[in-house]
Amino acid sequence: MMPNNGEVIDRLAAEYVLGTLRGSPRRRFERWRETIPVVDQRCRFWEERLLELAADLKPMRPPTHVWLTIERRLNFPARRSLVQRVRRFPLLASLVLLACATALLYWRSIPIIRPTSEATISARSGERLWELEVFGKADRLGLHAAKRPTRQAKSDYELWALPTGAAPVSLGILPAEGELMRALTVIQKQALTHSSQLAVTIEPLGGSPTGQPTGAILYVAPLRSAF
Amino acid sequence: MKSVAESPAEFDERLRWLLNQCAASDSDALQFLYTLVSPILFASIIRILRRPALAEEALQDVFVSIWQKAGKFTASRGRPMAWMISIARYRAIDIARRERLGPTSVAELPEDQAVHGEPDSEGGPAAWRPTPNLMARCLALLSPQQAHCLELAYIDGNSHEDIARLTGTPLGTVKSWIRRALLNLRQCLASSHDAE
Repeated sequence: MMPNNGEVIDRLAAEYVLGTLRGSPRRRFERWRETIPVVDQRCRFWEERLLELAADLKPMRPPTHVWLTIERRLNFPARRSLVQRVRRFPLLASLVLLACATALLYWRSIPIIRPTSEATISARSGERLWELEVFGKADRLGLHAAKRPTRQAKSDYELWALPTGAAPVSLGILPAEGELMRALTVIQKQALTHSSQLAVTIEPLGGSPTGQPTGAILYVAPLRSAF
Repeated sequence: MKSVAESPAEFDERLRWLLNQCAASDSDALQFLYTLVSPILFASIIRILRRPALAEEALQDVFVSIWQKAGKFTASRGRPMAWMISIARYRAIDIARRERLGPTSVAELPEDQAVHGEPDSEGGPAAWRPTPNLMARCLALLSPQQAHCLELAYIDGNSHEDIARLTGTPLGTVKSWIRRALLNLRQCLASSHDAE
């Protein structure tokens, strides 16, 4: 039976959040929390206060396969990686590799500026929408519109860098067609240098009015090394 | 190179927005959220479970839970990081119990048994951390034994019995220290009108 004494409930909530309430009392308390608002309220009180104890935790990046397993468990639409595509079509991949090797021998003799990292933004169907290339030390961003999604009235598609542990930073409006090269600001360069992913959101015409994403995230793409 | 700074309030607002998007079944929002908070949640879990394989299993469970319960959080309007770290810690405690893991104190673990995850070279999103507040001041008023017991329980996921073994202290004394510590915190918060 649940105690009706507020102090006892509060003490149990504190021990539950701390983790020292164990075994069947913990299971019982979890059931109370799901059904009795005052128990949930006291738990949330302690969860927010004891968070202070976690202030010195040193963040650890989990291995990449963890996210892939989460996607699989939640039945998210599959985004095939290049390696997976190569595995599915080994003969075609061999021919492409041979062609690339031949081209490389030719290209190596020509002094050209190569991108340092790149990303492809694709629809869930796999159709490529935009291709991006970062040049130099994130000094310039090359954008190529492969096929822009149907434009919504009075809206634009905005590109964002997702720096680790910090707010998204706008990389500007994505072009509707053609190619363009954009010089990046210091803040954009810093953000790109610390990003492993890019995102695209739908925003009011001219871009987010707040400097932060305000519309839905439509696409997320990994930023990969071009070497 | 310094990351682009974001205040704790802005970070909380960002997390709320992402949870809102998750509640609307936006899978990209969960991926975005994962990028932002998984290093902190993983750090919290691995301190309790120590074994990377168990910690990875727990982290998967946590993000599945976040996806499934995001709508519930949006309605409750609490601090998103407190909510997510709690889900992570409770899952880790459940797995530790299932696996019958013994007492844990990271400082005493051999290096190869400690953590194998990749430390976040950026130091993680600093904005998630609670701002120096009343709770920090109340924690500073606890005795060293009380504060140490709370850390061994909250951070490393130890039970009363584990803490008694780790500190070589009688079980009754450990229970008393923890009970007194929580009561002191409660009184300190109440005296400053933060007891809701």
